[in-house]
Amino acid sequence: MDRVLEHAPPTGGTPQLALDAEIAALGRRLARRGSALRRARRVTHDRAMALAARDPQLRAALFRLVDVAPACAGPVELAEHLSAFLGGVERRAAATAAASRAARAPGARWATGRAATAAVRGMAARFIVGETPADAARTLGGLWERGAAVSIDLLGESTVTPAEGRAYAARCEEALVQLAVDAARWPARPLLEADSAGPLPRVNLSVKVTALTPLVRAEAPARGRADAAELLRPLLRRAREVGAHLHVDMESVDSRELILELVLELLSEPEFAAGPSAGIVLQAYLRDAEETLERVLDWARASGRTPPLTIRLVKGAYWDHEIIEAAQHGWTPPVWTEKADSDRCFERVTRRLLDAWADERLVRPAIASHNLRSIAHAVVYARRRGLAPADLELQVLRGLGDDLQDALAAEGLRGRTYCPVGDLVAGMAYLVRRLLENTSNDSFLASRLGGAELDRLLSAP
Amino acid sequence: MTTTFRNEPLLELRRASERERLRAALAALDRALPIAVPAIVGGDHRHAAGFPSVDPGRPSRVVAEATAATPAEVDAAVAAAGAAAREWGARPAAERAAALARAAGHLRARRHELAALAVRECAKPWAEADADVCEAIDFLEYYAAEAVRLEAGPALVQLPGERNTLHYRPRGVVAVIAPWNFPLAIATGMTAAGLATGNAVCLKPAEQSPACALALVEALLAAGVPAGAIALLPGEGDVGSALVAHPGVHTVAFTGSGAVGLEILRRAAEPAPGQRHLKRVIAEMGGKNCVVVDADADLDDVVPALLRSAFGFAGQKCSAASRALVHARVAEALTARLVGALDTLLVGQAETFGTDVPPLIEASARERVERYAAGAAQAGATVRRTDPARVPGEGHFVAPTLVLAPARDAAVVRDEIFGPLLTVETVADVEQAAELIAQQAHALTGSLFSRNPRTVASFARRTPVGNLYINRGSTGAMVGRQPFGGNRLSGTGAKAGGPDYLLHFVEPVVVTESTVRHGLAF
Repeated sequence: MDRVLEHAPPTGGTPQLALDAEIAALGRRLARRGSALRRARRVTHDRAMALAARDPQLRAALFRLVDVAPACAGPVELAEHLSAFLGGVERRAAATAAASRAARAPGARWATGRAATAAVRGMAARFIVGETPADAARTLGGLWERGAAVSIDLLGESTVTPAEGRAYAARCEEALVQLAVDAARWPARPLLEADSAGPLPRVNLSVKVTALTPLVRAEAPARGRADAAELLRPLLRRAREVGAHLHVDMESVDSRELILELVLELLSEPEFAAGPSAGIVLQAYLRDAEETLERVLDWARASGRTPPLTIRLVKGAYWDHEIIEAAQHGWTPPVWTEKADSDRCFERVTRRLLDAWADERLVRPAIASHNLRSIAHAVVYARRRGLAPADLELQVLRGLGDDLQDALAAEGLRGRTYCPVGDLVAGMAYLVRRLLENTSNDSFLASRLGGAELDRLLSAP
Repeated sequence: MTTTFRNEPLLELRRASERERLRAALAALDRALPIAVPAIVGGDHRHAAGFPSVDPGRPSRVVAEATAATPAEVDAAVAAAGAAAREWGARPAAERAAALARAAGHLRARRHELAALAVRECAKPWAEADADVCEAIDFLEYYAAEAVRLEAGPALVQLPGERNTLHYRPRGVVAVIAPWNFPLAIATGMTAAGLATGNAVCLKPAEQSPACALALVEALLAAGVPAGAIALLPGEGDVGSALVAHPGVHTVAFTGSGAVGLEILRRAAEPAPGQRHLKRVIAEMGGKNCVVVDADADLDDVVPALLRSAFGFAGQKCSAASRALVHARVAEALTARLVGALDTLLVGQAETFGTDVPPLIEASARERVERYAAGAAQAGATVRRTDPARVPGEGHFVAPTLVLAPARDAAVVRDEIFGPLLTVETVADVEQAAELIAQQAHALTGSLFSRNPRTVASFARRTPVGNLYINRGSTGAMVGRQPFGGNRLSGTGAKAGGPDYLLHFVEPVVVTESTVRHGLAF
């Protein structure tokens, strides 16, 4: 609690209780707006996910089904898998038992498989805005009109060959060009198009370094960095040419140094001194997140590059992976093992980011979370530092943060929705991870909780 | 002695500081080369001209000058071991375990230097070299703990009027004949098992890696293992042969090629004049390890796992994958991705971080792999290799090789090649793959990629292999977690790093005492 005081702005002396009270009030308002805006057709779906969240075995079976669906040749094969997954579920709930019986009955296999396929595709369609950027144009334009900017993420299978890396880079380049054409037709949305440092590109593409190069090796970062640079450089040029923002995603710790050094080195090259707009990601679940931020801030201070680097702050999506990796090798996990520690780190980094922006206009802060407390904390702190709404970007995920996205827009805040684009089938692996996150209590779904539970969610971590 | 065993943590090579430390250790080692390796018998170190071990990546660099043990030294070592075994074997298991734990500590204190030594002497890339040191430490600590557990003996049925006990006794003298591919780990494992159970050990290291073996023997002597209980006998085949035939040897622990293993089994079966015991042989031999890929496998996972299993350390592991059996539905896609991924492999010196494929151990090994690759091409299979321009000239390097669609009975499909060569065959389904595996003579490791739990269960039920991996590559067994060893012609079925392993080094003795006197039980 007193951490808020420790990090209070130098000018401030803000009573911490007042800050917490303001955070809670904003959080409750966002929750109310979210409920009011909730799309009816999704209620059933949300309820199904909540049910799955309560039964870990059923949840595991469903995730395995979603995971294997792209590799199944047809409905019958999918039904066979479903039956095998459910066969492992002991002491089943009535619903599971019924599903299991249905999946096993030979005559019903085709029908079950069809239903499962439809369910998986339906679920995927909620998260994936289109198979190609052109496909996605209508949805993206719609989001813009509702008051939400977007960032596009091109899904695909892992890159294990140089040719696959080049193909991904080509898709990224096409997307930049296509999106630039589409975005030129969008109506003006002043809140989304500029902050106090200048214009914000409408086109925003997120890229993954492990999709650019198959040479990412934790013990030899230089090799992958050099390989990725060859493909990232042309993308940066193209982004500058079409006036787009290029955001490099962060992945597991094994590639962290590589990605960080790659981006900072490339952006330091003279040809990129004046653009394009670019960004990186900071993961608050890492124990050394604050050191990393200081490193980036030092870089930003020294580089004097324009436009400012954007930092997207996330909690991090590879927590299980990092914990397992560390346990199997006998290492101290690089991530916080208690969720509250990640939440606290998220708030500390949020304040540091906002301070650096308010005081020096160093790096653009983009806070990516579905946790109402984390979001409200950022908004309230930004207000305390005298920042205008346009100076704080709030990011959500397509499919999971839809209600939140609308609530933020209704509140007059600047939001951006991270939108996966790609084949529903190829996007499955991605989807599974999103689902795992969704069923944790860090989701905006939890905001549907009433009174006391909502208060607990909104209290300081 | 604690009972909860934990594997020694690997170095976090993703940290630049850790990599820097290893580079410094290698530079320091290079300044000290060549290492003089003596024959050590009864604690006496004898240095004499013998044979060199060289850096496989730069054969002009001599890593060690080893003394060749003489027949008289073999005799003396076995005699000293016989005498020392009585005293060593009479000590409580906890005392022996404490000495082995101290030896583990000595290795741990030198771990950067020892990893560097494995890099130089055997061209093991850093991550694998470090894992080798960790595994050696694991074996010492695991067998130490297991020996203490074993000493209590199992519970027997007890009825009124009698008392039954079962205890395990050391067998006497163990001859350890060790390979070069895990120059520290396997030599340490077999030696530690013998010592932990109260035997004395005569260690004959591979002629390619005597310096690594010296580090082990130094650690054991420094830890307080009696001088007679551990001998180092560097040499070539003749030393091993003399040990196997020696009437004073009770147990032979061997890891190496199938041909040598079979010869040892034959020789050990014949009692020497005056020999009053049967020799026991623990042999870990080759493999022809298959990776089966079902239609529902995630190829994103399969490709990296196959590359690592088949080409990591240039395929010079008995657990390495050498035969991929791929469901027809995904065969084309997987083959294309594998061929494309060949060029992601870094063929280079072991000391370069990121090297996937180091040089082979010696010229004859390189020639063997080249012969199989040429033979497969001649027989009509498609052979795809890494661009020769990316393969260094000096050193025993071989371009990673894929042999596509070879004949089912081709030599390249049947023989253990022990190099960076992987055959890729199409099968109609997992069932057919299981049939092909059932026909193999080897049965060491195997791997299955399938996301259907029923397929996994039925495959696991019928597989003959000693170690089956599901949805991961076929290498990387860890002490205590994946007890390791093969069946059929791959070995005698002992599971190194597992709870049964020490039983091969002991003899059970059952004592039954009547507690009845004048019709009363006391």
